Amino acid sequence: METVGAERAVTDEKTAAGAPRKRGRVSRKKLQENLWGWAFCLPLIVGTVWFVYIAFVMALMLSFTNYTLLRGSMLEYLGNFASNIVKDPNTGALSPFYWYRQAFVYEIGETYVMNELGAHLFNTVFYMAGIPVGIGLAMFFAVCMTRDIKGGNLFRVLYYLPCVASVVSVVFTFRILFDTNGAVNRILGIDLNWLQQTGNQAATWNSLTGSNAAGAFMNDPFWCQGFFQKLVIVIMAVWKGLGATILLYIAGLSGVNGATKEAAQIDGANGGQIFRKVVLPDLYPVIFYNVVTAVIGGMQIYTEPVLLFGESYMTSGFVSLIWRYGLSGNNPNNAKGAAYGMILAVIIFALTMFQFWLDSRNKD
Amino acid sequence: MEEKQRASSEAESAPRRAWDAVCAFFGISTKTRRASRKRVKLVGDVLTYAVLIVGAFFMVYPFWWMLAGSFAYTAERGTQGDILNNMIWWPSVSTFMPPAGVVGVGAFFNYAEVFTNAFGKLSSGFTFWRALFNNLLYSVVPVSVGVITSASAAFSFAKLDWKGRNVVFYFLLAAIMIPGPSIMVSQFVMYDNLGWRTNGLVLIVPGMFGSIMTAFFIRQFLFGLPTSIIEAAQIDGAGYPRVFVGFILPLALPAIMAQAVLSFMGCWNNYLGSFIMIPPQSEWINLPHAIVLMEKSYEGNYAVMIAASVICVLPVMVLFACFQKLIIGSLMLTGSKE
Repeated sequence: METVGAERAVTDEKTAAGAPRKRGRVSRKKLQENLWGWAFCLPLIVGTVWFVYIAFVMALMLSFTNYTLLRGSMLEYLGNFASNIVKDPNTGALSPFYWYRQAFVYEIGETYVMNELGAHLFNTVFYMAGIPVGIGLAMFFAVCMTRDIKGGNLFRVLYYLPCVASVVSVVFTFRILFDTNGAVNRILGIDLNWLQQTGNQAATWNSLTGSNAAGAFMNDPFWCQGFFQKLVIVIMAVWKGLGATILLYIAGLSGVNGATKEAAQIDGANGGQIFRKVVLPDLYPVIFYNVVTAVIGGMQIYTEPVLLFGESYMTSGFVSLIWRYGLSGNNPNNAKGAAYGMILAVIIFALTMFQFWLDSRNKD
Repeated sequence: MEEKQRASSEAESAPRRAWDAVCAFFGISTKTRRASRKRVKLVGDVLTYAVLIVGAFFMVYPFWWMLAGSFAYTAERGTQGDILNNMIWWPSVSTFMPPAGVVGVGAFFNYAEVFTNAFGKLSSGFTFWRALFNNLLYSVVPVSVGVITSASAAFSFAKLDWKGRNVVFYFLLAAIMIPGPSIMVSQFVMYDNLGWRTNGLVLIVPGMFGSIMTAFFIRQFLFGLPTSIIEAAQIDGAGYPRVFVGFILPLALPAIMAQAVLSFMGCWNNYLGSFIMIPPQSEWINLPHAIVLMEKSYEGNYAVMIAASVICVLPVMVLFACFQKLIIGSLMLTGSKE
């Protein structure tokens, strides 16, 4: 708030100093437009700079230090940044990337040992399996809804309902729906323990399902850790996000060139051919936008697994690491949490850039 | 040999012809292309409806389940868990028809529990109404102020011509590249140093500065308005604030309302913000956070949790039902902008 006042005072001064120097009415009008342009933007600029950019720079600096809340004001601490860079506890030498190195080497598990960061990344990537499923379903339903039928709007509303529901309510519902003798098992007529916690045990496909299948893959503990738990999360994520994606594709489909479609029809193309050759190319920007935003959002998954299963190496996404080290407990190691945050930012940035690179290569 | 072939082809062709006729009737003619367009449309519509209704069932069923479950009677020991677990359409023991001999159970027994003493178990003196008040405070204040600041920025970007406009716009837009969780820790420390975590300001003040996405969408909408209105108003002697309040706000009201409702729903459901930033013993936690914390006391009497979930979902559902045309229209608009 103080900053707003100060900058406004500066701009007022500028008006007073600048106005008489200008010659005609036109330049004065121009000046006024400039000033008001900045003034109207000021709150948004201040908010974004303060809560995003400054926070980002601070997070970056924090990740090279030893800061915790007990050390007092962060601003003062970062003011002495050079003298507060983290030192290796064993050798005493300066080691700014200490937390980053810690993040990559820490191993967990009792019967089955794995890298902590790797386990959480694997979970996160597993959850992204919902993205292609969601895209396929959304496109299918969007095509259905764009047919010339009555009540299309009602379906849009119904399919969008899960998007507006609180994730907390949804989790409490799904927890019982997916119980061993819950509604899902009864409707499907199976007896699967979806929500079974595997703890630190090395779960395998056979131990999870009670089957007796042979083969190394079936007894490989890596991909099976919390397999059905993760599957529930994927189902929930697809269910919850479908409505928004459908709307996106309906909007995209309404932009498809109708004349080309008709021409293809007259030329004898069937529905499948029209969809592949005419509709999909026109829909490509929408799909690309959808994939990019879904991957960015998918990397940040946190609430659903933690609410359903608590903090667990088998199910928690990457953001759990930030919370576990940087925010939880009485005296969290904020610096280490910030380092995990920076790793996440780099991963998301790299993934996004990779997708844009694929896109640009596709266009040539 | 030849005879046999002819015989077989005739034998085949009879059912084949019948099959073709059936296909043609339903409009799926491969050979004849004689199917009537009307019938093709009819069959397609019936199939589409069937698919959409099945899909809608899966989308809506959990909500029906939630509503039905909130009327389950699980307060009695012994049978507790099974009533909800075994429920598909309606609980076997509901609060409408409580077991014989149980007194004081009205139809809204679970809701009454939520309204009266469920939240008191978190910390003494904490009530459902306090959580609701917090939630309203965290939704109404930041959204109503934030949408105005976003709209003013959008006005400036869309209709005013000033030096550095595009640079500033892309500078702000680039901020969405920074993922929220990676700056969560420094924001946490920042708010803690400011002392905002213990008085609820953490969920109020940042939202009041507006959001770049909201500004972006309102800006897209404003591009569709003629600039001549502004020029005419200026000739009549109106200054920029006057133009903004008197012309831009009313004209862009559909876009602003849609964005406001969307952000309201986001703030209402903001479990993560409260969970990360506000200490769980505090009286400033919001409704979803309080419901999650409440769970420990109601693991045996889970229907109360479901009732609380319904209470958490219902306001946004009603809001969405009221504004669905506006919201879906806005989402389609923003979708098509890509």
